[in-house]
Amino acid sequence: MIQLLDSKLVRELRSLLGSNWVLTDPSDLVVYECDGFTIEKNMPSGVVFPTTVDEVSEIVKLCNRYDVPVVPRGAGTSLAGGCLPKTGGLVLMLTRMKKVIDINLRDRLAVVEAGTPNVQLVHALAGSGYHFAPDPSSQGASTIGGNVATNAGGPHTLKYGVTVNHVLGLEVVLGDGSIVRITPEDDLPGLDLVGVLVGSEGTLGIITKVWVRLTPNPREFRTIRVVFDTLDDATVAISDIIGEGIVPAAMELMDQGIVAAVEEAYNFGFPLDAEAIVVIEIDGPSVDLDRQQRRIVKLCEKRNAREVLQATTAEDRVKLWKCRKMAVGAVGRLSPSYCIQDGVVPRTKLPHILRRITEIGKKFDIRIVNVAHAGDGNVHPILLFDERDKEQVKKVLAAGHELLQECIDCHGSVTAEHGIGIEKLDFMEKLFRKSDLAAMHNVKESFNPTGHLNPGKLLPERATP
Amino acid sequence: MSTKKSFLPLIETVTPDDQTAASDAIRQAYESDTPVYPLGGLTNIRIGGTAKRPGIGLSTANLDRLIDHAARDLTITVEAGMTVAKLAKHLTHERQRLPIDVPSPESATVGGVVSANICGPRRYQYGTIKDYVIGVSAVNGLGQTLSGGGRVVKNAAGYDMCRLLTGSLGSLGLITQVTLMVRPLPEASAMVVGNFPDYETAEKLLRELGHSSAFPTAIEWLSGPAWDNNPILGKCPSSSVGRLVIGFEGPRAEVDWMVEQLEGQWRLAPDVAAKTVPEAEVGSMWNCLTDCVDQTLLNVKISTLPSRTVEIVESIRTDNPDCSIQSHAGNGITRVQMATDPDDITDILNQKLRPVVSSVSGHLSVISVPNGVDLSASDAWGAIGGGATVMQAIKDRFDPKRLLNPDRFVYGI
Repeated sequence: MIQLLDSKLVRELRSLLGSNWVLTDPSDLVVYECDGFTIEKNMPSGVVFPTTVDEVSEIVKLCNRYDVPVVPRGAGTSLAGGCLPKTGGLVLMLTRMKKVIDINLRDRLAVVEAGTPNVQLVHALAGSGYHFAPDPSSQGASTIGGNVATNAGGPHTLKYGVTVNHVLGLEVVLGDGSIVRITPEDDLPGLDLVGVLVGSEGTLGIITKVWVRLTPNPREFRTIRVVFDTLDDATVAISDIIGEGIVPAAMELMDQGIVAAVEEAYNFGFPLDAEAIVVIEIDGPSVDLDRQQRRIVKLCEKRNAREVLQATTAEDRVKLWKCRKMAVGAVGRLSPSYCIQDGVVPRTKLPHILRRITEIGKKFDIRIVNVAHAGDGNVHPILLFDERDKEQVKKVLAAGHELLQECIDCHGSVTAEHGIGIEKLDFMEKLFRKSDLAAMHNVKESFNPTGHLNPGKLLPERATP
Repeated sequence: MSTKKSFLPLIETVTPDDQTAASDAIRQAYESDTPVYPLGGLTNIRIGGTAKRPGIGLSTANLDRLIDHAARDLTITVEAGMTVAKLAKHLTHERQRLPIDVPSPESATVGGVVSANICGPRRYQYGTIKDYVIGVSAVNGLGQTLSGGGRVVKNAAGYDMCRLLTGSLGSLGLITQVTLMVRPLPEASAMVVGNFPDYETAEKLLRELGHSSAFPTAIEWLSGPAWDNNPILGKCPSSSVGRLVIGFEGPRAEVDWMVEQLEGQWRLAPDVAAKTVPEAEVGSMWNCLTDCVDQTLLNVKISTLPSRTVEIVESIRTDNPDCSIQSHAGNGITRVQMATDPDDITDILNQKLRPVVSSVSGHLSVISVPNGVDLSASDAWGAIGGGATVMQAIKDRFDPKRLLNPDRFVYGI
């Protein structure tokens, strides 16, 4: 059931943006009823497409006046329901604001509009000697604004950090429609509002422009793919590598289940009886890379590595990574629907959490395959099901719930990079005490006092005293 | 210690043994409308505006326990009153470190470092303390406890309360416990020093460093009386506009190679006269670069884009030839130290230095003033850019009676 917008609001929006950029027809609105978290859907009342920060500001002010929620959205790749218009309202699309405004290599920064796809920035920087380090798996579609809103990660966060480590400044529209610009100079006095806004999932402000840090491209890479007979051997080897003081650029794990899907789809020649495949990459000046690689290989062999394949050319590197990058794409062969979970534990707990995930899968009779940013302790169990079967849906939700609880029990968290969105609201009271959540509400009310920005996300309702 | 504490108008000092006691103390202060001044190691007690309102000092001296060192997870959790030196000792035992440069580590506390956002030359490669705080516990101005983050290095749950509290100068809450991400100790550390014969060469060399094969750990431009006769660097040529010290850390082979690359590059500019710092003195030079603030003088920090560094250094040095400068040139952070008449400080800040800084779109804040100088928060921090209203709103909720470190931070500017 669509909650209709006040006709006066619609007229004002059309006057501001042009009729083409204000959608109210249900056949248009249905595209925006959910994001990558398809389990829950709700129709917005309208969708708007501004092109400037002033238009965004005006839209927010109008929504305040007419008491309409505003849900910012980039590419809609959120896997946690961050863009779901839970209480209806206006979906505010940032996708027309997609200019790469400036690339400043001297100061190692770029300025982009929030709706710029991550991959567009990748292409804009090609050949410059620099890159934007956050490389989430969604980067082919996800926007920089969306990456900022969720504090996106990716395989290379182990060495290079997450999005917040690469955001220097922001332009943002707050809950009252005011525009705030925080410029990229280091150590400006006051509170770190940029740090608070990154990862705030559209609940504190609508990001319209981002100053991003650029990272010099590594000179060289060494990439290896290691096959382990057992998951335990793989995860202990990963822990050993970190314990030796080596911090690779990436350490990615795929379990037997996902390897089977990848092999069926792409015929890489993987052994189907091995429990884990790990892709490890180090980068830097070439002078020491071979020695580091030898150390890593030795540590893997100490943990019974069955096979170690080393990339010797840039093409080899691309091939070795292909199996990991295409892994999720292969899941479609295994079931009609899937749910990618996102949990994180201290990396030494990786063996334990992967064992528990296997047990949980058996308990609920749900097949679960795993990829993991293993160096960070960040697991992505992929729960396979058929969404047409309501019983399976229930089991998937229950299994997901149990494995996330296990992450909490391991002193981890229920999300490393996808965010809380709507999906994990219930867990906030398990992760944090009432006083912690009250403090977060205080922050939210400071940015978004009327609560119109992306309601129902990230924080459960404030507890009554 | 008593001289430093006398900078604050303290009625008494309390030293709680745990977070509950700290919470009780702040709650009592809230009920009696008494200001509270968090006290760590007192190494940065002079940051910000001068405190005027008599209140209680709340010392974290007894909150100094190690809670958990998960060495293989590269994380450590400590109470906020632990000194940086003690933290380093725990970490060194596992061949790890927090790669943040902290002056006076025997006194400085972890909570103080986080609260005041202290960092130094290694920030170029390793970032600032904000990048390492993954969990925090604190007590707000009402005596309520709050926590944020956790024990894992990636965590997207909730708002980043760690970043909110880092650099907040105790104005939102007394930090009682911190979980930090740490790094392995590097195998090797080396430094190359070069001379800047003129500002044009300075800009050329700084620009080239951005494209160099060598990835520095630190890029330090040193100029002025405090550096001209540095015992490790030797005497600075009189015609020079300063010296550039480049630090490298990492695997031995990598460091040696980067030093060789840089020396090769600089050999092409003969006036640069590049030389390496003797290995035995590299540690001491890092300490020099970290612990260089003479608190009897006026010390300010200028934030610009890195590309404006040469402009601002040239302007400041030309107008103030007796000042000393240490610029983290790769980050656009330039620290200026100068002797001044205490009565002239406000004019120097607002009529002389700030206009020059504004002309390069930068910002100036005060690190310390000599004893006896009163400074308003406005003079200490300058104009606050974007978000001042939100900062005020946050402060109103975390410390509604404005009792935590009153008059010292940015609110009301």
